[in-house]
Amino acid sequence: TADIISTVEFNHSGELLATGDKGGRVVIFQQEQENKSQSHSRGEYNVYSTFQSHEPEFDYLKSLEIEEKINKIRWLPQKNAAQFLLSTNDKTIKLWKISERDKRPEGYNLKEEDGRYRDPTTVTTLRVPVFRPMDLMVEASPRRIFANAHTYHINSISINSDYETYLSADDLRINLWHLEITDRSFNIVDIKPANMEELTEVITAAEFHPNSCNTFVYSSSKGTIRLCDMRASALCDRHSKLFEEPEDPSNRSFFSEIISSISDVKFSHSGRYMMTRDYLSVKIWDLNMENRPVETYQVHEYLRSKLCSLYENDCIFDKFECCWNGSDSIVMTGSYNNFFRMFDRNTKRDITLEASRENNKPRTVLKPRKVCASGKRKKDEISVDSLDFNKKILHTAWHPKENIIAVATTNNLYIFQDKTN
Amino acid sequence: MEFKLEAHRIVSISLGKIYSARGQRGGLKLHKNLLVSLVLRSARQVYLSEPGCPPEPPPIAAPEEQPPPPQDQAARLPAADCREPRPRGCGCCGEATCGAAAPPTPPPCPRKRSAGERGQAGSPVKRPRREVEEEPPPGEQEDMETGNVASLISIFGSSFSGLLSKEPKARRRDPRDGGDATETTEPGQICCDEPVLRTLNPWSTAIVAF
Repeated sequence: TADIISTVEFNHSGELLATGDKGGRVVIFQQEQENKSQSHSRGEYNVYSTFQSHEPEFDYLKSLEIEEKINKIRWLPQKNAAQFLLSTNDKTIKLWKISERDKRPEGYNLKEEDGRYRDPTTVTTLRVPVFRPMDLMVEASPRRIFANAHTYHINSISINSDYETYLSADDLRINLWHLEITDRSFNIVDIKPANMEELTEVITAAEFHPNSCNTFVYSSSKGTIRLCDMRASALCDRHSKLFEEPEDPSNRSFFSEIISSISDVKFSHSGRYMMTRDYLSVKIWDLNMENRPVETYQVHEYLRSKLCSLYENDCIFDKFECCWNGSDSIVMTGSYNNFFRMFDRNTKRDITLEASRENNKPRTVLKPRKVCASGKRKKDEISVDSLDFNKKILHTAWHPKENIIAVATTNNLYIFQDKTN
Repeated sequence: MEFKLEAHRIVSISLGKIYSARGQRGGLKLHKNLLVSLVLRSARQVYLSEPGCPPEPPPIAAPEEQPPPPQDQAARLPAADCREPRPRGCGCCGEATCGAAAPPTPPPCPRKRSAGERGQAGSPVKRPRREVEEEPPPGEQEDMETGNVASLISIFGSSFSGLLSKEPKARRRDPRDGGDATETTEPGQICCDEPVLRTLNPWSTAIVAF
């Protein structure tokens, strides 16, 4: 179970793809350089580096174990030869430096090649050590550890467009950090009520605006999104904008509140829109319009009549993520039965695909799937009752520039690319 | 009636989730437990608002609260005085900060329901979001997870004991003495069938332990 993938993220160039898992490990894949003679497909992704980012910890004061599961990974833009990423578990954020070593010095005077010191009396000549090529080694080292700033469980980290600061959000608070400074952070949002018994909502996700370094949003378990401007005041408890769609009274049920809880929020690359994911749908919001989303896409509406069962088996608490393609024309999110969905905002067409080994051989084109909600099931359709709710795709990522997607099932990572001719 | 059965089932499932959340690795998941408590409240409201509930008396011990964090020990209400689990009994202990913020109702009990809330048979009643069920505790130190647990216990506890009875007086009395006096008040507010309560019994122990 330690292999359960818990986060997937491409870096800014798309060359690297990082995954985090429940066991606290980070695995980075690197895209092979394109082979000019084989222009029919882009490079494959192969394992580049694997390291243990977080270990389980025990909080003795509260008698609580702190899980090592990686909740989020975010890449920094590349500034030099090394790559940097932030990874976080429930309590601690770490900045990792990933660097390559492809040569090493050889010919020391005082040391043997294996590092043992030579007997000085045997040293009769002097030579200058030289760099010789070696097999590529990728090393990951923790450069900063940002700890002890979160009482509740961290659900999001987001790097600011100034590339100097980042935010981390837990259930009730959001903190602002400087990447160089680990011993303090600034609290910028605090929704903890004075009386915890009055608690009615928690923060579920937060993200900085891609271009505007003073702007960020955070979503709540009540289905609202607040946009905040850090220039307005030090503590951004008063939002600049509140995005909320009025509830449809005809859909009211015991579970209305749960399914309206937002599990992910992502700005478009342009910064003009943001996307939210709740249990049954994906919504696109125009930042200039607060009272309703501009587009709504139903991910698996056929589950609406099954909410009680999904509550019973805990599936209703699953937190699906969503992502944009590079040009913001298509959005993607996961579902059950290892299905994932894509919605084309321009053509309004949508497609359901499946990530599974049995049904897809490498290099075959994925066949669209269809779920039969009710009535007579057509050939090739799958009925709602035969969906496997243990096979869920919570994490998906889209290459920033190309049509390559990464889809994580429970234990496996699938990478798909569009067919090139 | 269907809604009542469904509501009861959801109450049971919810209590089961709270119970099993205790030993979870990584500590209490605030988000999930908040959502479960919201469902529990909705289901409870529907359950209680449905007509056709025979008046009744249930010998179920009200849940007692788990010992609060050490720093609140002094402010804590002795359990014997109050059936309602209260993390830091406000009106009774006379804490200044608490008193100032407390709503006017003195009895430490679940909110009284107005007639208006009840009659929506057949549709889940949306709980008013800003409603404060209980009196705020005295200024507590920020004690992270333990504070959360205590709060959730009181939330669940009040929800649970709300199932038992709505009457403050009845609550103060030991239910084992028989709740006859409660029957004379508002039928329909008072909780339920014997079989239901028998079913709920194990859960009362669960809440206590939690």
